[in-house]
This record gives sequence, structure tokens and C-alpha cells, in this order.
Amino acid sequence: MQSLDALLGGFANALQPVTLMWGFVGCFVGTLVGVLPGIGPALTIALLLPLTYHVPATSMFVMFAGIYYGAAYGGSTTSILLKTPGESASVVTSLEGNKMARAGRAGPALATAAIGSFVAGTIGTLALTFVAPWVVEAALAFGPAEYFSLMILSLVAVSAVLGDSILRGLVALFVGLLLGLVGIDLQTGQPRFTFGRAELLDGIEVTVAAVGIFAVGEAMYLAWQGRESKSGEVMKVSGSLWLSASDWARSWKAWLRGAFYGFPIGAMPAGGAELPTLLSYYTEKKLSKHPEEFGKGAIEGVAGPEAANNAAAAGVLMPLLTLGIPTSATAAIMLSAFEGYGIQTGPQLFSQQGSLVWTLIASLYIGNVILLVLNLPLVGLWVKLLKIPPPWLYAGIIVISTAGVYGAGNSVFNVGLLFAFGLLGYVMRRFGFPAAPLIVGLILAPMAEQSMRQALTISQGDWTTFVTRPLSASLLAIAVLLVVAPPLWRHVRRAR
Amino acid sequence: MKPLHVAIGLLVLCAVALWQVTVIPESLMQMTVGPVLAASAVAIGLTVVSLLYGLSALRGRQIDESHEPDQSALPGSGARLLYLLAGGVVFGGAVTVAGFVLPATVCGMLVARAFDAPVGLRSLAVCGGIAVAFWVLFALILGVGLGPALPWGI
Repeated sequence: MQSLDALLGGFANALQPVTLMWGFVGCFVGTLVGVLPGIGPALTIALLLPLTYHVPATSMFVMFAGIYYGAAYGGSTTSILLKTPGESASVVTSLEGNKMARAGRAGPALATAAIGSFVAGTIGTLALTFVAPWVVEAALAFGPAEYFSLMILSLVAVSAVLGDSILRGLVALFVGLLLGLVGIDLQTGQPRFTFGRAELLDGIEVTVAAVGIFAVGEAMYLAWQGRESKSGEVMKVSGSLWLSASDWARSWKAWLRGAFYGFPIGAMPAGGAELPTLLSYYTEKKLSKHPEEFGKGAIEGVAGPEAANNAAAAGVLMPLLTLGIPTSATAAIMLSAFEGYGIQTGPQLFSQQGSLVWTLIASLYIGNVILLVLNLPLVGLWVKLLKIPPPWLYAGIIVISTAGVYGAGNSVFNVGLLFAFGLLGYVMRRFGFPAAPLIVGLILAPMAEQSMRQALTISQGDWTTFVTRPLSASLLAIAVLLVVAPPLWRHVRRAR
Repeated sequence: MKPLHVAIGLLVLCAVALWQVTVIPESLMQMTVGPVLAASAVAIGLTVVSLLYGLSALRGRQIDESHEPDQSALPGSGARLLYLLAGGVVFGGAVTVAGFVLPATVCGMLVARAFDAPVGLRSLAVCGGIAVAFWVLFALILGVGLGPALPWGI
């Protein structure tokens, strides 16, 4: 009941014309970046961080939420019409969606994706509304030792689960942790890893690293390949942009199942959106009355994964808002935005910044409606965007990225660092290192160190505090299992 | 470039990190955990995983996506990469003296060249348009500090 009252207060704020306008801008920009390949929500939010000095926190986070949800919606358009997913969670959608478009059913594919995104996004937001206060209550019992262990679990999970190699994930994680420790140690004031450069005393900006790796690194990789010079074949929006009775009947269960995969998995450390979309796809394939259509354009194969993708987006917000733990690169950048406003994330966020949090959650409901309205009627505009020639698209992305980083602090040093991170991103992309562990490691390293120090101060230097407190020990045990179990399991299977 | 070269690069980074750990000044404050512990733990951790990566690369178990079908680089890859990097160098080198629009335009043109667009009037017009639009939206309307648009200070 308390949640409901707070949510109604949030709606009252979110429906203010100015806040609504920022929400609309966020949804529009989010859809745009979801549609365009090579630019995602993490990069966009990172680029908009300089605005934190000029725009009130509530408006900014409403816009970020719109971008985040919008990107999840927009990614489906590219997957269906171009078979080039705008973001990784839309890869599965392209399997069936593009086949439907080729068979003259692009309209129903886009419609089931948009309506499914709305249904699942709303279910995910409802779950966030009613589950988050419970998590906050539980998290209030966390001490520094539990927080440290939770961060270790998140870091390990992001590295071990994302990507296809635990080793490469761990390498990316340790590089991120190392970069996160660059600068003045907040507790003792001693400089670390600064090479005597004054520019490094404040540490490495998350924005510079994220934009460098996601935008410049990706552009470098594609330029190096030389295969992006021409636009891909964009399918026409054929067929009605509405669903027939049979399409409705085949879609609605897939939407619900997708939502029930998406939210809980998205809320787990490193759950992300890729795993639930895959699970949803295979579930729909297994349960479908038309399994022969899979691989040739089955509507359930679009409806389920798209729903899972959007519900996962709501799930990812839960650990961020309730525990202050980012479980994806986008969430890490949003955490950085909270820090930019001097807002302490974690369980206190709900009590100290209740108005902001509930406005943000209310704006997610409103954003879902805006996105449903934006997506289908404006599909012609999104299709036109897909026809932008790659040279102009990437010129725009790099100019905006470079200017965004420069604008954050008028620092030419940061521009140099941006391109250095670009080179790092290129190497990571080429040799299969996941980017998310590096970004999450960069932002969590100082926080984890701080929690560890607090825990050890409380325990008077007794290191066993991390394993004698049951919750902390359980979290660490799960972290160890995540690293050790997969290779052990492979070894056992090989031995059989 | 091969995975083994990446491993060597990582080990060089580890050596630099370990050296930097040794030059962290001693803290005069009395505390349970000083500034060195976390830094050395991370540097050692990175060294361990980098060594494992190197061993794995030596055994040929690490991937290079450019060997996947349709992922290899077309001729001229080095030049394209250099054009893109040159864009960054031009922007960084000129933005403090030439204002925002001119360096951003040249940066955009070099990036477009990296994607095989010829350097010409069209490229100048498109990239100039992007630079002006970005400056107007962010610097003029939203107040982000991008400096003057042109060297003579607009």
C-alpha cells in the first residue's frame, strides 16, 4: 500500500509537462539509438552525462530511463528490417523477424515486437514497483562485509557469465579494476597509478572509458574491416502494422512467458537481456504448435524474445536502485550519473530520494505508453534512419562522442584518453574480450575497496569477517562457484 | 596481430602496474588497510589471468575474430584505422585554438574517409552540418562548455 501511495506521488511528478517532455525526448532518442547500429543506450547515456550540471536530477533520470527502454524497443526494428541488431539483446529477434519481413510480413513482426515490448515492459515495471521495496528492506540488514561480498559476486558474475570465455571475462574485469583504482586514494590521499600526471589524480572518467570502448572502439573495428562502407539491404514495411486474430492468439502467451523470463534474470547480477531472450526463443520453439515455421519466420520467435528483452530492462534497474549495484554497462553509467548528482545509491536511495525514485518508476510506465505510440506510427522514420550511409553515421557518432567527452571537462587529455580506449576497444572486440566487465570493474573497484576497508575497520582487522557472516559467506561461495563450476563441469563431462 | 601479441601487451601492462604499486607513497595515517593492498591484489590478479591467457594463446586456444568467415579485414585496413585515429588527433590538437566547429568537421571528414567516403565538398557539408548542429544544441541551447564555435569566438 505504501508503494502504491509513493507510486501515485511519482505519477504526479512524472506527469508534469517539463518532466513529461524529458521522458518523451528520452524515448525518442532511445528508439533512435536502438535502431541505429553502433550506438547503444550505454554510450548515449554516457554522452549525455555532461548535461548533469545543467538539468535537474529528476528530469535527467526520466530521460535516461526513456533512453534505456527506448533502445530496447528500437533494437527490434533494425533486427527485423535489416537483420543487423542495433543491440545484442535483439540478436534473437532477427532470426525470425527478418524471415517474416522477407516473407512480406514485416508489419505483423514489428507490431508483435512493439506490443510485446509494451506488455512485458509494463509487467517488468509492475514487478519493480512491488518487489523493490522488499529488496530495500532486506538490504538494510547488509553491512559493509555483505556489500563487499555482493560486489565481488557481481563482478565475478559479469565476467563469468557474459561472453563465451571466463578467462577473457576475468582479464577484462581485472583491467577494469586496475583502471578503477587510478587516482587519489580517497581514504589516505595517496596517488595510485597516476605516473605523476595531475590529469589522472581524479581517476579515469567512466564516460571516457565507456564512450571510447563502445563508440570509438566499435568504429575502429568496423573501419579496419572495411565491410561497412555500404548500407545493408533494408526490407520494406510490408503487411498491415496490426495483428490478425491468429497473430494475437500466437503472440500473447509468448509475451507473458517472455516477461516472466526477462524480469528475474535481468535482476540477477550479470543476468542481462541476452540470456532471457535466448531462453524465451527456445521455449517458444518447443511449445509452438507450428515448430516447422521456426527458422522461416515464426511470430512467436519475435514476440517472446522481444518481451523478454524489455522485461529484462526493468529487471536490471532493480539491483541498481535498491542495492546500488550495476549489473550491466548501461546500469554502470547510470550509477555514474547518480554520483554526478552527489546522490548516494543503495537502500537509502528509497528513503532519501524517494520522490526521485518513484518519479523514475512512474516514468517507466508512461515511457512504455509513449514508446508504443512512437514505434509503430513512426516506423517510416526509423526505416529512413536505417538508410543513412555508414560513413556519415560513424562520422556523426565519432564527432558527437569526441565532443561529448571534451564538453564534460574541456580536457584535451581526455580526448587522447578516449582514442586510447578506442584502441583498447578495438583489440577487445577483435580478440573476443567482453566490454561490460571492464566498465563494471572500473566503477565498482573504488566502491568495493571502500566496503572492504569499512568491514575490516568494524572487525578490527579480522579478515574472517567475510566468511563468518552467513550472508557474506554465501555470496562469496556463489562467486567462487561461478568461476570454478563451469570448467569443473566440462572436465567431468570430458572424463565421462 | 595475434592473441599472443595481446598476451605480451597484457604482461607489459602488468609489469607497469606492479612497478606503480611499488611507488605508491606510504600512508602516515594509522589504518587497518592502506592504499597498497587493493592495488597490489588487483595487479597480481591481472598478472595471473594474463599469464593464463598467454599460455592459452600459446596453445592456440584463443580467438581472433578476423579469422571468422566474413570478418577478415579488406585491403587498406591499416590506412583506414589511421584515418580514424587522425580524426581524434586533429580534434584534440586544434580544438583549443581553432574553436569547436572546424576541428570537429575535419575529424568527421577523416572518420568518413576511414569508411571509404571520398574527401570532398559533400563530406565537408555533411560533417560541417553535424558539427554545427551539435554545437548549437549542446553549447548554445543546453550550455555545455564546448568553447567557441569558431576561432574568432562566436
